[in-house]
Amino acid sequence: MIELRDVSKTVTSGTEPLTILHPLSTTIPRGQFVAVVGPSGSGKSTLLGLLAGLDAPSSGAVLIDGVDITRLGEDALARLRGEKIGFMFQFFHLIPSLTAYENVAVPMEIKGVANPAARARSLLEEVGLTGRAHHYPSQLSGGEQQRVALARALANDPPIVLADEPTGNLDTTNGRHIMDLLQNIHRARGTTLVLVTHDAELAAMADARITLRDGRVV
Amino acid sequence: MTFVLRMAVRETRASWRRLLFFFVCIAVGVAAIVALRSIIQSVRAVFSTEARSLIAADVLISTNRDWVPATRELIDRRLAGAGVIQQTESIETPTMVRPADTSHAVARMAELRAVQPGFPLYGTLELESGSYSHEMLKNKGVLVRPELLTALDVKVGDQIVIGLVPFTIRGVIKNEPGRRVGDFSLGPRVLIDYADLPATGLLSFGSRARHVLLARVPDPQIDPLVTTLKADFKDEFVSARSFRGTDDEIGADFDRAENYLSMVGLVIVILGGIAVSSVTRVFVLQKMRSIAVLKCVGARSNQIIAVYMLQVMALGLAGSLLGVVLARFAIAAIPYFVETSATSLLTDVHYGITWSAAAQGIGIGVLVSLLFSVVPLLEVRSVKPSLLLRDETRVAVRDWTRIAAIVLVSAGLVALTAWQAASLKIGLIVSGGFCVLAFVLQLAGRALVRTIAPLANSSSFSLRHAVLHISRPGNQTRVILLAVGLGAFFIVGVRTLQASLLEDFSVETINAGADMFLMDVQRGQVEGVRAFLQDPANGAGSFQLIPVLRARVTGVLGRETKLESFEDVRARGSLAREYSITYRDRLEENERVIKGAFWKGPSPEPEVSVEKGINERFQIDVGDTVRFDILGRVVEARVTSIREVKWSDSRSGGFMFVFRPGTLEEAPQTFISPLKGPESIQQRARFQHDLVGRFPNVSVIDFHEILATIKDVMSKVTLAISVVGGLVLFSGALILIGAVAMTKFQRVYEAAVFKTLGANTRTIARMLLFEYGVLGLLSGAVGSLGAVALSWGVSRFALDIPWRIYVGEHVIGVLATAALVAAIGVLSSLDVLRNKPLATLRAE
Repeated sequence: MIELRDVSKTVTSGTEPLTILHPLSTTIPRGQFVAVVGPSGSGKSTLLGLLAGLDAPSSGAVLIDGVDITRLGEDALARLRGEKIGFMFQFFHLIPSLTAYENVAVPMEIKGVANPAARARSLLEEVGLTGRAHHYPSQLSGGEQQRVALARALANDPPIVLADEPTGNLDTTNGRHIMDLLQNIHRARGTTLVLVTHDAELAAMADARITLRDGRVV
Repeated sequence: MTFVLRMAVRETRASWRRLLFFFVCIAVGVAAIVALRSIIQSVRAVFSTEARSLIAADVLISTNRDWVPATRELIDRRLAGAGVIQQTESIETPTMVRPADTSHAVARMAELRAVQPGFPLYGTLELESGSYSHEMLKNKGVLVRPELLTALDVKVGDQIVIGLVPFTIRGVIKNEPGRRVGDFSLGPRVLIDYADLPATGLLSFGSRARHVLLARVPDPQIDPLVTTLKADFKDEFVSARSFRGTDDEIGADFDRAENYLSMVGLVIVILGGIAVSSVTRVFVLQKMRSIAVLKCVGARSNQIIAVYMLQVMALGLAGSLLGVVLARFAIAAIPYFVETSATSLLTDVHYGITWSAAAQGIGIGVLVSLLFSVVPLLEVRSVKPSLLLRDETRVAVRDWTRIAAIVLVSAGLVALTAWQAASLKIGLIVSGGFCVLAFVLQLAGRALVRTIAPLANSSSFSLRHAVLHISRPGNQTRVILLAVGLGAFFIVGVRTLQASLLEDFSVETINAGADMFLMDVQRGQVEGVRAFLQDPANGAGSFQLIPVLRARVTGVLGRETKLESFEDVRARGSLAREYSITYRDRLEENERVIKGAFWKGPSPEPEVSVEKGINERFQIDVGDTVRFDILGRVVEARVTSIREVKWSDSRSGGFMFVFRPGTLEEAPQTFISPLKGPESIQQRARFQHDLVGRFPNVSVIDFHEILATIKDVMSKVTLAISVVGGLVLFSGALILIGAVAMTKFQRVYEAAVFKTLGANTRTIARMLLFEYGVLGLLSGAVGSLGAVALSWGVSRFALDIPWRIYVGEHVIGVLATAALVAAIGVLSSLDVLRNKPLATLRAE
C-alpha cells in the first residue's frame, strides 16, 4: 500500500520559490491501477518521482507498506526501489552502453539475484523482443526501447510499477502495445500500477484517477 | 560484486576507444620509467660483478707527487703487516705521442700508463687480437687504443715516439681494467713497461704524473688496511681506497642517476594522470543519465564508483603493461646505438628489462591512474535519480569527503614521488616544483585566455566561435595548455640553453685569441720555446709564457677562517684541491682589484692575491695568512688583495692565487703558454709535431679539438633531453587527441545545429582550425615563456654564463606548437565535419 500524507514539493526557480505540488494526501491500495492525469506542468511526474523516492518532498511523508521513505538515505532508497518499485520513463532512459538483455539484467544483478540470465530472457520474450536481446538501444525503435524499459521495470518482480507517460513518445500502435502489456502484467501479477498520462482513453482504463492542475488535486 | 565486475567489463567494452589515448599517456610514462631503470640496473650489474677489476686491485694507493722514501717505507710496512699477497706499481701521465716516421707530421695527446709485471691484479686487459702478457711491453713495446692508430695514421708494428724514445706498437687495447666509463680523459690510453719510463724523460720536475700502487691483500685485511693508511697520511697527499669504497661510490652514483631519471618518467606519468583526471571528469558528466538510471533501478553510489574504479584500474593496468612492452622494444634497440660508442664497457652489458623496474612501472601506472580518478569519480555521489524527471541546477555545497580525498590523493602523490626519488626531501621538492609549475602554467593560461577574450566580438564568425569554445564550460583548455605547454617548455628551454652554452664557449675559446695551450714547459726550455713560437715559419700568433707552480692550501689563519691542519682544510671541500699558482707584478687585462692593493715590484716577504670566488666561499680576506705546500716547501703568505677575474675573457688565463714576485722564483716550476695557433688543420698538426719533436715533454692542448668534443658531448646531452621533451610533447599530443575525442559529443551536436542554421563544412572546419590554432599558440606561448624563465635561471645560477634570448628559437617553438595542435585538433575532429545533421539531432 502506498500512502501520501500532506506531500508537497517546492523548487527554486531563479531566485523565486515555485511550488510544483501543493500538500496532497491520498492512499493507493495494493493491486490498484491508478491514473494520474492533468495538463503539462501540473505536477504529475513530480508526484510519481516522490512515490518512487527519486526525489524528496519539501514537506509531508510518503509511506510504502508502512515505511516512511522520506526518512531513508539515498542508498536505502536505492535498495527499496530495487526490491519494490519498477519505473518506466517517457524517454525510456535505457543505458546506451548496454545491450537490451543487459539493460534488463542490471536490476537483478544489483540485487544479487543468482541467475539473472534466464529471467532476463523470459522477460524479453514476454515483451516480444527475443530476437533483439543483443541490440544496443541505438539500434532499437522507440517502441522496442520502451518494451525493454518495461522488461527492466519488471526485472525484480516488484509489487509496484510506476510509469511516467510510457506511451507519450510512441505512435498509436506501439502505444497500444505497451498499454496492453502493462495491463496484462497488472492483472496477472496483481501489481500496483500508477500511470501518468495525458491520454483520457488510457486513464479510463484505470480503477481510480488523480487529476492535477497547477500542482493541486481537482 | 558480480554486478560491479560485470558492469565494469560492459563499460570498458563501450568506452575503451575514448579512453585509449589517456592510457597510452600512462603507457609512455611507464615505458620511460621501466626503460631507464632497467638500463641503469643492467649497467650497474656489470659494474658490481667487476668491482675489483674497476680499480684492478683490492687496495689502491696513489699520489700525485714522487714517492717520498719515508712514505714508501711506511706503506711497505703496512702492506707487510696486512699480509700482502701481491703488489704492482704503475705511473700515469698525460703526454704527447707522435709517429716515428717523420713524414707523418702529427702529434696527439695521450694518457700514458707505465705498468710493472702483475698488472692488472684483477680483471683482464683485453686486446683486439691475442691475449696480453707483460712480455709484449718489454724492450720498448707499446699497446695503444684504436683511436690513436687512426689519429696518428699508424698500425701495429709501426713505431711511435713517447718523450725521447721510439716504441713499437705491439697490440691494440680493447678493454682495460681500472679505467672507468665517463672518467675525464685527455687522450687515448697508451701502455708501456714501467722500466722504460725513465728513459723517456717524461718524469722531469713538475710533470703531472700519478704514482699508483696496487695491492692484493687477504679479504679481512682490506678495510683495516685502508683505514690505517688513511689515518697515516691524513696530512699528506697520498690517498688510499679499497675496491669496496669505489663500488660504494659508483653505487651511489648509479642510485642518483636511476632515481633522477625515474623522476623524468614520473613527470610523464603524472602528466598522464592529469589527463586521466580530466577524462574521468568529462566521462562522469557524460554518464550522468546512466548513473541516474542505475540509481533508479537500485544501485548504490559506492557500487557505481566501484564499477568505474575497476574500469580505471583495468585500463591503468593495460596501459602499464603496454608501457612495459614499449620499454622492451626501446631497450632492444640500445645495442645498435652502443656499438658505435667508444666506451667498450657498455657493450658488455646485457640489456633487458629487470623485474623490479617492470614491477615498479606497473605499480606506478596503476596507482597514478587510481589516484587521479578518485576525486572526479566522487561526483557520482551527487548524481540524483530525479535528473531523469527534470533538469535541475545543482547547488554547490562544501563536500568534506571530496576535500579529504584531495588531501589523501596529494599525500599519495608526494609519497609516490618520494618513493621514486628514494628521498622524502626530493619527493617534496619535485612534487612542490610540479605544483608550482602547473599552477604557473594554469595562471599564464588563464591570463592568455582572458587576453584573447575580446576576439569573441570579432567580425569573423569562425574566430568568434573558436574563442567562445576555448572558454566554454567543460572545456579541456587547461589540460591541453598544461600538457602541451610543458612539452614545449622542455624542448624550447633545452634548445635555447644549448645554443647559449655553445655560443658562450665559442666566444671564450675562438674569439679570445688563444686557441692552443702548452703545458709542462721546463724552466730550461723557456727560451727555446719562446724562439720556436716567435719563428714565423711555425705559424704561431701572440703568446705568453707564464710560470706555474702546483700548490695546496694546508692552513688558514684569518679573522673568520681558522684551519690548523690539512685535515681541517680537507673538511672545507674544494679548498683542499691542488691549485696552479703563479707570480707576477702586474694585473692582467681581465683582472681588477676589488679589495686591498696590488703590489709593485718584488719583495722577499710572501704576499698573495686571492680570487673573489675563494674570498666569498671560504671567507679568506685581506690580512689573513694562508699556508701553502708548494711541492713539499711550506710558504706562509699574507693576503694583500682580492682580485676579480673576468673568466669569460680567459685570454690571459686565470689564477685563484697570484704571488708577489720575490719568493717563488727559485721554487720548482714549469711554464704554460696560451697562444694563438696556426690557422689550418694541417699547419696545426705540423706545429704540434715539430714542437713536440724539439721539446718531447711539452704537452699541447688544441682547443679546436676540445671544442669539437664538447660540441659532440653537448649535442648528445641535448638529444637525450630533447627525447625527454619529445616524450612529454608526445604525451601532450595524445592528451590533446583524447581531449578532442572526449568533447566530440558536444562538438558533433553543435556542428549539427550550425549546419541546420546554414553553416557549411568549410566554416565549421575554419572554426576548428582557429580554435586549435589559438589553443596551440597559447600553449606554445606558455611553454616559451617558461623556457625564457628556465634559461635565465640556469644561465644565471647554475652555469654562470650571460643570459641570451634566442628570439628565433622561441618564434619557431610557438609556431610549431600551434601548427601541431591545429593539425591534431582538426584531424581528430574529421567526423564532426562528416556527420549528417539530422542523424545527430535525432539521437539527441
